[in-house]
Amino acid sequence: MKISVSTSTDRTGRRVYLARLSRVIIVGLLTAGFLSPALAGPREQAKRIHDRLAGVPPTDSVLQQMQNEIASGNANGAADMAMDNVSFYNVTLKNFATPWTNRDRSVFAPLNDYVATVIGMIRDGVGFNTLLSADLAYVGRQGVVSSSPSASNNDHFEQLEFGNVNLRDDLVATTQSSITGVPSTATAGVMTSRAASEAFFVAGTNRAMFRFTLLNHMCNDMEQMHDTKLTPDRIRQDVSRSPGGDSRLFLNSCIGCHAGMDPMAQAFAYYNFDESTRRLEYTGGTVQPKYFNNDLNFPSGFRTPDDAWENRWRRGQNSYLGFNATLPGSGNGAKALGEELGNSYAFAACQVKKVFRTVCLRDAEDPADRQRVDAITNTFRTTGYRMKQVFADSAVYCMGR
Amino acid sequence: MKITTGIAMHGNLTRKSRSARAALLAISASALLAACGGGAPTTNNPTTIIPDTGETPYTGPVARNADVLKFQQEFWSKAKTSDRCGSCHNEIVGQQPMFVRNDDVNLAYDEAVTVTDTLNPSASRVVAKVGGGHNCWVADANVCAEIMTTWIENWVGVVSGGGRKIILTPPVSNDPAASKNFPLDPTAFQTLIHQPILVTYCANCHSSETPNAQQPYFADPDIGTAYDAAKPKMNLDTPANSRLVTRLRNEFHFCWNVGCPQSAQIMEDAITAFANGITPTTVDPNLVISKALRLTDGILASGGNRYEDAQIGLWEFKTGSGLIAYDTSGVDPAIDLNFSGDLTWFGGWGVTINDGKAQGSTSASKKLFDVIQDSGEFTIEAWAIPANVTQDMSRIISYSGGDTARNFTLQQTLYDYDFRLRTTETGLNGDPALSTPSAEEVLQATLQHVVATYHPVDGRQIYINGQLVTNVDPIPGGTLVDWQDTFALVFGNETSGAGLWQGTLRLVAIHRRALTAAQVQQNFDVGVGEKFFLLFDISEVIQASAQSSYILFEVQQFDSYAYLFDKPSFITLDGSQPEGIPIEGLRVGMNGLEAPVGQSYATMNDTLSASLFGQLGQPLSLLGAVLPLEKGPDSDEFFLTFDRLGGSSYNRPDDPTLVITPTDLLPASRVGLRTFDEINATFAAVTGVDPKLPAVDLTYQELRQSLPAIEDVNTFLSAHQVAIAQLSIEYCNALIGTNQIPNPDTATYFPGFDFDAAPATAFAGSNRDLLVNPLINNIVGTNLAGQPAFADVYTEVASFQAAGGRPDNLIDRLLVGGSDTRAISKGVCAAILGSAATLLQ
Repeated sequence: MKISVSTSTDRTGRRVYLARLSRVIIVGLLTAGFLSPALAGPREQAKRIHDRLAGVPPTDSVLQQMQNEIASGNANGAADMAMDNVSFYNVTLKNFATPWTNRDRSVFAPLNDYVATVIGMIRDGVGFNTLLSADLAYVGRQGVVSSSPSASNNDHFEQLEFGNVNLRDDLVATTQSSITGVPSTATAGVMTSRAASEAFFVAGTNRAMFRFTLLNHMCNDMEQMHDTKLTPDRIRQDVSRSPGGDSRLFLNSCIGCHAGMDPMAQAFAYYNFDESTRRLEYTGGTVQPKYFNNDLNFPSGFRTPDDAWENRWRRGQNSYLGFNATLPGSGNGAKALGEELGNSYAFAACQVKKVFRTVCLRDAEDPADRQRVDAITNTFRTTGYRMKQVFADSAVYCMGR
Repeated sequence: MKITTGIAMHGNLTRKSRSARAALLAISASALLAACGGGAPTTNNPTTIIPDTGETPYTGPVARNADVLKFQQEFWSKAKTSDRCGSCHNEIVGQQPMFVRNDDVNLAYDEAVTVTDTLNPSASRVVAKVGGGHNCWVADANVCAEIMTTWIENWVGVVSGGGRKIILTPPVSNDPAASKNFPLDPTAFQTLIHQPILVTYCANCHSSETPNAQQPYFADPDIGTAYDAAKPKMNLDTPANSRLVTRLRNEFHFCWNVGCPQSAQIMEDAITAFANGITPTTVDPNLVISKALRLTDGILASGGNRYEDAQIGLWEFKTGSGLIAYDTSGVDPAIDLNFSGDLTWFGGWGVTINDGKAQGSTSASKKLFDVIQDSGEFTIEAWAIPANVTQDMSRIISYSGGDTARNFTLQQTLYDYDFRLRTTETGLNGDPALSTPSAEEVLQATLQHVVATYHPVDGRQIYINGQLVTNVDPIPGGTLVDWQDTFALVFGNETSGAGLWQGTLRLVAIHRRALTAAQVQQNFDVGVGEKFFLLFDISEVIQASAQSSYILFEVQQFDSYAYLFDKPSFITLDGSQPEGIPIEGLRVGMNGLEAPVGQSYATMNDTLSASLFGQLGQPLSLLGAVLPLEKGPDSDEFFLTFDRLGGSSYNRPDDPTLVITPTDLLPASRVGLRTFDEINATFAAVTGVDPKLPAVDLTYQELRQSLPAIEDVNTFLSAHQVAIAQLSIEYCNALIGTNQIPNPDTATYFPGFDFDAAPATAFAGSNRDLLVNPLINNIVGTNLAGQPAFADVYTEVASFQAAGGRPDNLIDRLLVGGSDTRAISKGVCAAILGSAATLLQ
């Protein structure tokens, strides 16, 4: 076979040719790779830990150090070394959090304040149970990019990503309220970040914020929470009680989700993402008009007077979510709701589940896996909700034997 | 005792209670509540413009006063025709009372007032008589009662003092009885009733499979359909009262060859046998309960004051059976609508159009032409439930002659209502339509009050739920002279059948005037459907005098499958004034059990206090509770339960927590793919190339979404492979550089390898190791059992000689092609970089 190769800078022609060429090779090597024996001495374990945590292979020297740590019985120390790689922040954590920040759950969304805050909290060991309640944001160190963090655009974070800025070294903590202008008492961690606001407080009825928070941080969608026995007294007027003239739909389906969701989504009654100013709007004391959309669909439904929320899932079938008994289970506003959710067992278990999946590339699949996940969850809850611990514990568990 | 509230209705007595049953209840009242229904004031009834249709011209004395004149215009002229009361109750036949005598309208008036109730027209003797089937001029006696009530209402007009009297009567107090509930399994019904009786004797009509199909389909071959349809027609507690029995025994409806009494007995025996097999449900003795009621024990609350002074057509769909929806406006000729296709009656009044239409004759429909031509303005009013928001150009109410010609049409287009009208300023097909604003999505698949008005000055307007939602009609007002009188009024479709609208109509009215915003709001406020006040006796529980203290609910059948319990309040009927009685956790029970879903008052936590009494006692909640219908409105027995009421309480156990039992998953692969950013970062790490180099970054950004996005190896596609190859080539190009712009770092990465030498020299013998070894060591790694062995990769790219069908190593094959050293080097680099050694983790 004659293959002509050119050193021309014509990228297209070169790409086509070389694609053809390398395809042949890749197939062979892929096969070779799959057939390689899955041995797992300390060196291989170190390589896997690094691959899974940082997303890139280690340098020889790092690999050797990690191998030594594992050989000496300190696998978590090896994991800590892997998490010192900048790719753990710029690649692994970024892609870990990005799907939580948009309705499509796309990993290809631009870097934003939500993701940066998650990265920063993990880097600094900030208690992750405050993820949904803290007045906290992480931004690029001053001067590292030209645009400052803004309440009305995402330029700052897109520039951080475009410039491949080192998120391990150049993220700094600040208050979210200082950026968005929302009162500190009205901040609720990433729920009131600009990215989450743009995705989940835009238009609609603000139920999206609750549903996606549940999905992303409690690892359940509304369907799993379906409980028709709950009292439906807080279901808003916009929910038709007889969709298309058939109340069976409401009584068998709609009610099961709305009876739990609407009393909690009331916490967001004062929030809206203003599409004209492109920023989060907070109207303390005044319920947003969106809470009265289609209020004549069922005039005898609940009419939102304020932002008082109540967690109806503390009783009945959904009490298995494990809400913190020291909290009241009701309150006003998003911050208090964020504390309610963030301090539940389900929240902690969900974070561990997500990390396990990221690091082990699979879900817990047998009793041994589940036992380990439970143990990691308990460690997470009892040692300050530090996510790095979860990453390390998961990576060590899945480093191979 | 007489309780007078401030919510007495003002204005005239249009459209009020039409239920003779409720009226009788009202008459027998002991406590009087001048109330209610909440309608806004209305204006005086104008004189209708419909001409007298009596056959014989009246030549007697003129009416002696205004009241007699109104009687003559609104009642006498309509009732005196020979197909109605005029066939007997006149001076010629002599049937007493001669309230439609044709010789002297004043004498007729004197007779009429003896058989009419001006305070409560629906309770009039003439209404009860005709409603009982006495010479009704249409098939449904209730329709005649409706029409006659309307005539009387139009006649009596404004009542001095205003306000319809709603009388809250202490109901007969019963404890909730043990109740038989329908079993889920229809087998016993099928064996005892369906197969031997219903299929045998009723399936010619009451089956969806017959050409004469008539609802309800209790003889349907599908047992589920038949069972659902038969449930409301069977009374398990008193089988003799079952509709299936009384229809035979009392109404002689298609009895079979053994005669009606025997047919009825056979039916009753079968239902009795079915009921005997059901164990009654008893109320939990630990519950704190009120007395029990059925809907039929309630006091009619519906009505209010609809504005109907200019109404010329009214369809309320109360019949509930048969294939005709009657025009009960009382304005002749009645445009009765014939059903064709798949239409079903809707519980609580209404008709659901699944696939068909309800159409009037062109001759009767000409009423609209005649009247509206004169008025030059009109209104279409409907309480409608669109089945969905996906239907397009679907005719809800149309007065048209086909797909291309219409006088007017109200139709649905997705989330919009469209109003098409033929005037001198629009087309013959009513275009362009006036539509509700699409962005606002005002059309919802739920019960809506839709009003379309036309006035030559204001143009077309559409109101939804009392609110004007359209902008100013861009088409100037015109006249209606181009209307055609050969069109037909049709609901739910085009006359051709080519414009199906799926949904439910619960009321439709046509008015000969453009209703004002206030009138629209008035009719919206009245609502639709029959509502009752139910008084649940709690006297015993709170240790008050017998039959003194009640929880009052406004209750209606919400649709075919549910009730709406609304706005509970606490009221006393004996004037007592209890204070400080705790009430917590109110629930509605039905047929011995608390309703399993929809308990909106379960979180109630209040105190009963007479000091908080308002118009209807102390309001306990503004909320409504939608509760599932079980046996039907005639049979379901309701009661209330309380977690705490007065000194009684019930310790309600929590619902159990869900226990999730995990199941093992199939073992997943322990290796996975690197994903897009990981691949890019890996390539950068193992080649030392800056990923932000413009050429590299540009390529990566182009390829980013073509690279693997998730780790699962089973998701790897050929497109991923191509993208990886392209990206690896770009990195290798940057690593090695071009002949014109070589990368100076190659000396560090590939020490000793001469990229400027001729290929034959550069790759001669062990020289090629200077290129290959660094690539393998950096990219694949060393001493890693999980990675391809160095020797294997080296053989593949640098040393293997063709054998056994396997070709030469890569370098030798590239040398044959005549490429230069850098090009061959890039090929080798890309082959290793884009391999599974980097792709897998």
